[in-house]
Amino acid sequence: MSPSLRVLIVDDARLARSELRTLLAAIPWVECVGEADDVPAARDAILREQPDLVLLDVQMPSGEGFDVLDGLETVPMVVFVTAYDQYAVRAFDTNALDYLVKPVEADRLRAALERGRARLPVPAAPVAPHATRDLLGADDQVFLRDGERCWFVALGEIRKIVVDGNHARLWFRDQNAVLARSLSTLEARLSPAMFFRANRNTLVNLRRVRAIEPSLGDGYDLTLDDGSQVEVSRRQARELRERLAL
Amino acid sequence: MEMMSTTQAARSSGFWWRNSAVWLVYLGVSLVLGFSYGGHWSGIVLISLMVSLCLWVGSAFIRRWALGHDWLQRDLLGLTWRLLLAVVIVAAATQVLTAAVLLPALAWDWVQLPGQRANYRPAAVFGYWFNTAIVLSVWCALWTGRRALQRARHSEMAQLRAEAQRATLEHQALRARLNPHFVFNALNNLRALINEDPARARDMVTHLSSTLRHALVHTDGDWVTVAEEWRVVQDYLAVEAIHYEDRLRVRTDSDPAALSARLPPMALQLLVENAIKHGIAVHPGGGELTIRVQLDGGWLRVEVDNPAPHDASSAGHGIGLTYLRAQLGLDESRSASGRGTFLLERQGERMMARLQVRQ
Repeated sequence: MSPSLRVLIVDDARLARSELRTLLAAIPWVECVGEADDVPAARDAILREQPDLVLLDVQMPSGEGFDVLDGLETVPMVVFVTAYDQYAVRAFDTNALDYLVKPVEADRLRAALERGRARLPVPAAPVAPHATRDLLGADDQVFLRDGERCWFVALGEIRKIVVDGNHARLWFRDQNAVLARSLSTLEARLSPAMFFRANRNTLVNLRRVRAIEPSLGDGYDLTLDDGSQVEVSRRQARELRERLAL
Repeated sequence: MEMMSTTQAARSSGFWWRNSAVWLVYLGVSLVLGFSYGGHWSGIVLISLMVSLCLWVGSAFIRRWALGHDWLQRDLLGLTWRLLLAVVIVAAATQVLTAAVLLPALAWDWVQLPGQRANYRPAAVFGYWFNTAIVLSVWCALWTGRRALQRARHSEMAQLRAEAQRATLEHQALRARLNPHFVFNALNNLRALINEDPARARDMVTHLSSTLRHALVHTDGDWVTVAEEWRVVQDYLAVEAIHYEDRLRVRTDSDPAALSARLPPMALQLLVENAIKHGIAVHPGGGELTIRVQLDGGWLRVEVDNPAPHDASSAGHGIGLTYLRAQLGLDESRSASGRGTFLLERQGERMMARLQVRQ
C-alpha cells in the first residue's frame, strides 16, 4: 500500500484554508495534519508536525512564504499557492515542487500532491525511530537563500560545505550559498556515512568524490565531481582510510 | 543633452568620412576622364584636384548652412530654390578659385597644358560652371533624400514608441482598477463560502459583480459623484470583509453634503485598496480603517487612514496610486495641481492618505 502524504496548510485567510481542506478531503491518501495562518504559526506547525508537504501561501501578514522556510533545519516539500502569478517565477527558481493559483483546481492540486507522494522515501525495514530522526539523510532538503535567490537543495546534492566566517557555505549543482549555521552544528546532524570532515574547514560529500591521491605530509587530495580539490589533513587521513575500508 | 551632443558628433564624423569618400571617387573619375580625352598633362591634375577640393569643402558648407537654418523643415519649393541658389554660388566659387590657382601656375610654368594656356572663352567658362553645378546638384539631391529617409524612419519609430507607451499605460490603468490579486482571492473565498454559507455566498457574487462592473465601465475617465463611488466602495469592502473577516474593521464618516461632489472614478476605492494592502494585510491582527469624506468650501476632502506598515518604504508607489495621481494631473514630484492635491503621510502609528479635489 502506498504511504499517505501528510500535508500542512498555510494561508492567512480562513476561507482559503477551508477551501484547501475541502479539496484535500477528496483525496484518500492525503492526511491534513494542520493549518497555520501566519509565518510564526507555520514554523511552529512544521517543527511540531513534521509534514511531508506544505501548501504555502506566498504572502502573509508577517512576511512572505519564503520566510517560513528560512532558517528551518530541513524543509518539507513545498507547493506554493498564490492568487496571482507574480511570485510564481521566483517559486520555480527555488525548485519548489509546484505552484498553484487560486481558486485552486482540484485536478491541479491532485497532480502536485501526486508528484510529492512520488518523492516520499520508501519506508525501509522498521528501524529504531531515533536512529533515523536524529541524522539527516540524502533526501532531506534544506532551504537556502542568498538575497533575492533561493533554492531547495537535497543533502545528496551538496558537494562540500566550507566554513565562511561563523556560517557555512554550501556548494551544490553549479551554485553556492551561505547557511546561517556553524560547520560543527551541521556536522553533528549529518550522516557520517555521507559527509566526512576532510579538514578543519571543510566537510565533503563522499559520494561526490571522484579521485583520491596521496599528498605531501601523509594527507590526501580529494577531487570532487566538479573538478575542485579538497585537502585531507594528516589527522583526518587515518579516519578516511578507516571509513573507506568499510 | 549629453546624449544629444554625442549622437550629433557621431553623425557629423560619419558625414565627414562619407563625404570625403564621395569626392575622392569624383577626383579619381575626373582624372581618368581628363587623361583619356585631354592626354597626360599636369594641368589636368591641378584642375581636377582644385575642383574636387572646392566641392568637398563647398558641399560640407551647404550641409552645415542647411542644417543651421532648418532648410529641411521647409516645404519642397522653399528647400529647392535655396539648394539651387547654394549650388549656383558654390559652383561659381569653385570655378573662380580654380582659375585663380590655374592661371598663375600656367604663367609660371608650374604645370603643363597643351599650348600652355587655358581655354577661358565665355562658352567654355559656362560649360565648366554648368558641369560643376550638375555634379553638386546630384550631391544635394542625394544628401536631402538620405536625410528625408532617416527622418521618416525616425518619426515612424517615435510614433510606434508612443503607441506602445500608451498601450502600457492603459494596461496599467486597467490593472489598477481591476486588481487581479483582489479578484482571484475573492473568487477563491467564494468557493469556500458556497459550502459554508450559501446565502452569504450569493450576496458576495452581487458585491463582486458591482465592483467589477464599476471598474470596467469607467474606462473613459469621466468623473463620478461621491454617492456613486461610495456605493462601490461599500461593495468592495463587503468583498474584502469576507477575506480578512474580523481583521478588517472599518469606520466611515461622510458628510451628506459631499455626496453630490465629483471626483475621478475609482479614486476612493484605490485609496481604500491601498490602505488595506499596506495597513491591514501586513498586520497579523489586522486593524482599523477610517474613511472620511467632507465638502469644505469649493473643495472635496477625502481622508483614508490605516495602521502604518512596519516597512513604510513600499507604500504609495503602486500602480493604483500612480493611476490616481495621473487622474489629477500629479506625479511623484508634484503633490498639487489645479485639479487637486494628494498627500500620503505617516502620523505616528498610522498612515494617512489625504485627497483634495476642487469642485
